[in-house]
Amino acid sequence: MKKLMQILFLSCLKATEFIEKKLNHKLSFKEKIQLKVHKSMCQACSNYEKQSKLIDKVMSETKIENVNKEDIISLKKSIVQKIAEK
Amino acid sequence: MNNNYYKVSELNLTKWVNDYTEDMLSWALFKVSDSELAKDLVQDTFLVAAEKISTFKGKSSPKTWLFSILNFKIIDHYRAKKKMPFAFDGDEVISMFFNENGEWKKNKAPHEWQIDDTHLLDDKEFNEVLKLCMDLLPEKWNSCVKLKYILGKSGKQICEQMDISKNNYWQMIHRAKLSLRECIESKWYKN
Repeated sequence: MKKLMQILFLSCLKATEFIEKKLNHKLSFKEKIQLKVHKSMCQACSNYEKQSKLIDKVMSETKIENVNKEDIISLKKSIVQKIAEK
Repeated sequence: MNNNYYKVSELNLTKWVNDYTEDMLSWALFKVSDSELAKDLVQDTFLVAAEKISTFKGKSSPKTWLFSILNFKIIDHYRAKKKMPFAFDGDEVISMFFNENGEWKKNKAPHEWQIDDTHLLDDKEFNEVLKLCMDLLPEKWNSCVKLKYILGKSGKQICEQMDISKNNYWQMIHRAKLSLRECIESKWYKN
C-alpha cells in the first residue's frame, strides 16, 4: 500500500520538477499520470504550472536591449577621456 | 609572435577602446540587462586596464585580457547584490520553498493570479518586473535562463557553453523558475 501511494502521489517539489520537464521535454506516460493525479489534488501546483508557462511565454518574447551606435560613440569618448585624466 | 608584439601604451589602449567597446558592451548588457550599469562596467574595465597595463604581457589577445577583467567586474556586481532578497543559491532555494516532505511551505505556495493573460505580453509593468526579477537571480542562473529563453539556445548548447552537466542544467532551470515565479508574485501581483 505504501509503495502504491509512493507511485501515485508526488511531492510538490517533484511535481514542480515534472512541470518544468513537461514544458521543455516530454514526460513519460507514468510521469504524466503522476502529475495529473497530483494536480487534481493540489491547487498550488496547478497555479504553479499556469504561471510557469506564462513566464516562459513572456521570456521567449523578450529581446535583449540593443546597443545603439550613438551610445557606443559617446561611451568610447568618455572612456578615452577618463583614461587621459588618470 | 614575439613578446613585443603588443607594445602596450596609452595609444594601444585607445585603439582597444575603439575596437572592443561595442563587443564588451553587448556582453555586459547580456549579463546585467541594464544599459547604464553595463556602460559603467565597461568603463571601469578600461580604467582597470589602464592601471594594470604594465602587467599585460601580450600572452593572450588584448580582447581576451579585457574580457577577463570585465567578467570579474560582472561577478563583483552579482556578489554585491547577493544580500538582496530573492537572490538565492543552490539548495537554499529548495528549502526556502518546500518543507522536508517536499510540500510547499505555507506562505510560499503559489496563489492564483487573477489576471488576463492575453494582455500580459504587452503589459509594460509585468515585463519590467520580470526583467528585474531575472537580474536578481544568481549570475549563472541568469545566464542560463537568458541563453535558453531569450537567445533560444538548446539545452545541449547551453550545457556546452556553460560547461555544466545536463542534470545541473535542469536543476538550474527549475530553481530559477521557482525563484522567478515567487519574485513576480511578490513584486508585481501583490502590488
